[in-house]
Amino acid sequence: MGVILEVKNLTKKYGGLTAVNDFSFEIKRGEFIGLIGPNGAGKTTVFNLISGFQRPNSGTIRFDGKDITGMAPYKIVNLGVARTFQLVRSFKLLTLLDNISVSCLSSRGKKVAKGHGVDEYASTILASVGLVDKARIPPIILPHGDLRKLQIGKALGTNPQLLLLDEPFSGLSHEEQDVITDLIIKLHDDGVTVFMTGHVLRELMHLVPRVIAMHQGKFIMDGTPQEVAKNKIVLEAYLGKGEVFA
Amino acid sequence: MSAKSLSKGKGRVKKKLSGSKSYLLNWSKTFRGRLTIICLIGLCLIPLLTQNRYYLGIFITAMIFSIFAASWDFLAGFTGQVSFGQAIFFGISGYITSYFIRYLYLPWWASLLIGSLVGVAFGLLIGIPALRLKGPYLGLATMVLGLIMFYTFLNVKFEPWLGGSEGISKIPQISRNAVETYYIHLIFMITSFLILIWIGKSKMGTVFKSIRDDDIGAEASGINLTKYKLIAFMISAFFAGIAGGLFAMHNRGVNPGVFQPLYSFYAIVMASLGGIATISGSALGSYFFWFAAELFSEWPDVSVFIFAIILILVIRFAEHGILKPVLERLKDIWDLVLGK
Amino acid sequence: MVPIAEVIIFGTIEASVYGLLALGFSLVYGVGGILNLSHGLFYLLTGYIIFWTYTTIGIVWAVILALIIIIIVGGLSYLLLIKPLQENHVAILIITFSLGFFVEQFIKVFGDAIPHTVPSFVGGAITILGVPFPSQFFVILIGSFIVIAITGLFISKSKIGKSIRAISQDREAAMLMGINADRTLMYTVMISAALAGIAAVLYVPASSIAPHMGWDVLSNSFAIVIFGGLGSLKGSVVGAFILGYTRSFVNYFIDPAFSALVPIVVIILVLLIRPRGIFGKKEVY
Ligand SMILES: Nc1ncnc2c1ncn2[C@@H]1O[C@H](COP(=O)(O)OP(=O)(O)O)[C@@H](O)[C@H]1O
Ligand SMILES: [Mg+2]
Repeated sequence: MGVILEVKNLTKKYGGLTAVNDFSFEIKRGEFIGLIGPNGAGKTTVFNLISGFQRPNSGTIRFDGKDITGMAPYKIVNLGVARTFQLVRSFKLLTLLDNISVSCLSSRGKKVAKGHGVDEYASTILASVGLVDKARIPPIILPHGDLRKLQIGKALGTNPQLLLLDEPFSGLSHEEQDVITDLIIKLHDDGVTVFMTGHVLRELMHLVPRVIAMHQGKFIMDGTPQEVAKNKIVLEAYLGKGEVFA
Repeated sequence: MSAKSLSKGKGRVKKKLSGSKSYLLNWSKTFRGRLTIICLIGLCLIPLLTQNRYYLGIFITAMIFSIFAASWDFLAGFTGQVSFGQAIFFGISGYITSYFIRYLYLPWWASLLIGSLVGVAFGLLIGIPALRLKGPYLGLATMVLGLIMFYTFLNVKFEPWLGGSEGISKIPQISRNAVETYYIHLIFMITSFLILIWIGKSKMGTVFKSIRDDDIGAEASGINLTKYKLIAFMISAFFAGIAGGLFAMHNRGVNPGVFQPLYSFYAIVMASLGGIATISGSALGSYFFWFAAELFSEWPDVSVFIFAIILILVIRFAEHGILKPVLERLKDIWDLVLGK
Repeated sequence: MVPIAEVIIFGTIEASVYGLLALGFSLVYGVGGILNLSHGLFYLLTGYIIFWTYTTIGIVWAVILALIIIIIVGGLSYLLLIKPLQENHVAILIITFSLGFFVEQFIKVFGDAIPHTVPSFVGGAITILGVPFPSQFFVILIGSFIVIAITGLFISKSKIGKSIRAISQDREAAMLMGINADRTLMYTVMISAALAGIAAVLYVPASSIAPHMGWDVLSNSFAIVIFGGLGSLKGSVVGAFILGYTRSFVNYFIDPAFSALVPIVVIILVLLIRPRGIFGKKEVY
C-alpha cells in the first residue's frame, strides 16, 4: 500500500488572511479518511489546491509520486483525482445521463467508457448512484439529495483513484445522509481512495477510521475519530465556533 | 465499476440506440418536423414561381445569412461564447475566395473552401490568446480585431496588396443561371444546418453545452476547456467563412465594409431574433430580416435602426427569441384548422 | 528635427482622454461584472448633443445639457436594460451591443454619416519647444487630470465611492454589510457615462465625431482595460498612458497606417504574457 497523495508545507494566502498554513499530510492508497474543522478552517481551500482550482503560495502536492502542484484542473482529473463541490454544481440544461456522459468523455473517462459505449457506461454509473430512473430529466428539478448523488456520479465518470468529497452531507436529511453514506462505503469497497471533509464531526465519526483535524488553516492532529474527539484544541475550536459537536 | 453493474444498464441503452435510428422518422411526425419539411419543400419550389434574378437574389441573400447567423448561434448557443467579431471570418473568407477566383483562376468551390479554411486559421489566431481567459474577453477581442481588419483593408497604404476601399470586384458568379445558383445556395444552407445540428446533438455537442452551463464543473469533469472552446470557435469560423465566400460571389465582389461591426450585428440580430441555441431559428431570423429589409431597400440605415430596436425589445422581453412562440401559435392555428 | 514635443503632447492628450473612457468602463466591470458594449455611445451621444444644440443655446449650455442627458441615459440604460437581465450575461452583451447600434443608426437616420466638430472653449495657440499647439490641447490635459483626480478622490472618500470599492472587492461581504449592490451599480454606470461624456466635451473640439466612432472608443477602452487588468483603476490610467504614447510614437516614427493596429497588438501580447493584465486581480473559484 503506497502513498497515493502527499501534501507538503502547503500554504495559501488571500490578501492578509492565510487560509491554509504550512499544511502537510499523507494518504495511503485505499484509505478512507476525513478532513474536519469548523466552518472557515480551510478545508475547501485544501481541496481547491489539490484539485488545481487554486494555486498554492508555497508547498507541493504529489499524487502517485507525481508533482501536480499548480497543474490545470482537468489534467489532475485525468490523472485520477476527482472531486465534488460543497455547493452542488450541475449542467442545468443537460439530462442527468448527459451530465454524467461529460465526465465519461474526459480523456480518462473515455478509456473505460470506450469498451461499453459512453451512454451505456454513463447509465451504469447513474444506476450505481441510484438515479437511473431519472436519466432523461435535467437536474434543475431534482431534490437536493439527488443533486448530491449526481455530484458523486459526475466524479465517478472520470474513473478516479482518489475521490475528494467536499461536505457530501451538507444540507441533507438523515435518510438522505444514510443513502449517501452507503454509496460512499460501496465506492471505498470497490477500491477508490476516499478523502472527505465535514464540519460536523458526528457525521464522520462512525464512517472513517482516520481523521485529520485543521483549524484556522493549520494542521492540528491526525488520528482516529475517538482520539480527535478528545483533543483539547479541536474541542475549543468547535466550542469557540458554537458548532454542533458529538 | 464492476462488470455486474455494467450489464444492468445494457437494456436501457439498447432502447436508446434503436430510438435514435427512428429519431428522424419520429421527428418528421412532430409538428415542428412537418413544418420544417413544408418550408424546405416550399423553398425548393420557389424557382417554379419566379426565375427573376432579383427576387431569387433576396432568397439567396437570406440563405447566405442563415448560414452566417447559424455559425454565430452555434458558438453562442452551444458553448456560451459570444462573438462580436463574426464579421472577421465572414470578411476574410470573402476576400480570400474572391482573390483565388479572380487572380488564381481556381474554381469557385475550391476558392470557397480555401477561404473558409483561412477563416478557421484566423479563428485559431485570435482564439488561442483570448481563450486563456474566461468570460466575455473573447467577444470583445473579436470585435476589436474586426475593427482593425476594417481599417487595415480600408487603408490606402495597403491598397496595392489589399485593394483599398474598392476591395476585389468583378468576380464571376457561381453560375450564369439564376435558378441553378439558387439551388446551389439551398444545398449549402441545408447541409450547413444539418452539420451544425448534428454536431449539437453529438457527444462533442454535449461537452460544448456542459461548458456553457458550468465551465468550472466541466473542468472538474476532466474536460480541457481551451481545447473544446477552440474547436467550437473553429467550427463557427468555418461556417461564417462559407457564408462570407458565398456572399462575395453573390455580390460579385468584396470590400472592407464586410469587416464592420455591422456584419457581426447582422449575425447576432438574426440568430437572437429566432432564438439562441436553436440553429434553425437563425433561418427564421434571416428570412424575416431580409424580407423586411426589402421594404426599406431605399433606406438601408433605417432597416438596421429598426432591427436594433426590435432586437433590444426581443432580448429584453423574450430572451429566448421568437421561434418558440411563433411555433406554438402556428401549432394552435394548425390544430384549429384540423378541428382538434 | 524630430518632433518629440508633438509626440509627447499628442500622446499625453490621447492618453488622458482614453484614461477617462477606460476608467468608467473598468469601474462598471469591477462593480457589476459587466462589459458594457454601449460604452462608446456615451462619448458619441455627448458629442452629438453638443453639436446639435450649441448654435441655438451656446456652447456652455450645450455642454451642460449634454452631460445631464448622458448621465440620465446611463441611469436609464441600467434600469431598463441591464438590471432586468442581470442573470444572463449573454443577453447583457447582446443588448448593450444593440444599444450601441441603435445610437449609431439613430445618428445616421436623423443626422448624417459625415464627420463633424464643435468649437473649442478657448482659441489661440501656445508654443512649446518652437511648436505651436492649439490652446484646446491644454484644456484637455488640465481638464482630464482634474476629472481623474476628482474621480479618484470620490472613489476613496465618498459614501458611494466606498460602496463601489466594497462591491468590487467582495460582492457578498459588501451586501451582508447592507450595501445595495443594484443601486451602487446604477451610480457606477452613471459615473461611467459622465466620464465618457466629459471625454467627449474635452476632445471633440480638437477632433471630430462620426456615427461609427463609438466602436473605436469601445475597442480602445477595452484594450486599455485588458492591459491594466479588468476592474483595476490604477491599471486603466497607466494603460491609457502606455497606449496613448505607443500610438503617438507609431504615428510619427513608423506610419500612421499602423497606429490603428496598436490596440490589438497590445491585447494579444498582454493576453499571452499576463492574462490578467498588469494590475489585474487573480481570478478566484
Ligand atoms: N476565494 C477566496 N477569497 C478570499 N478568501 C477566501 C476565499 N476562499 C476562502 N477564503 C477564506 O479562507 C478561509 C477558509 O475557507 P474555506 O477553505 O472555505 O473553509 P472551510 O471549507 O473549512 O469552511 C475562510 O476564512 C474564507 O473566508
Ligand atoms: Mg468548505
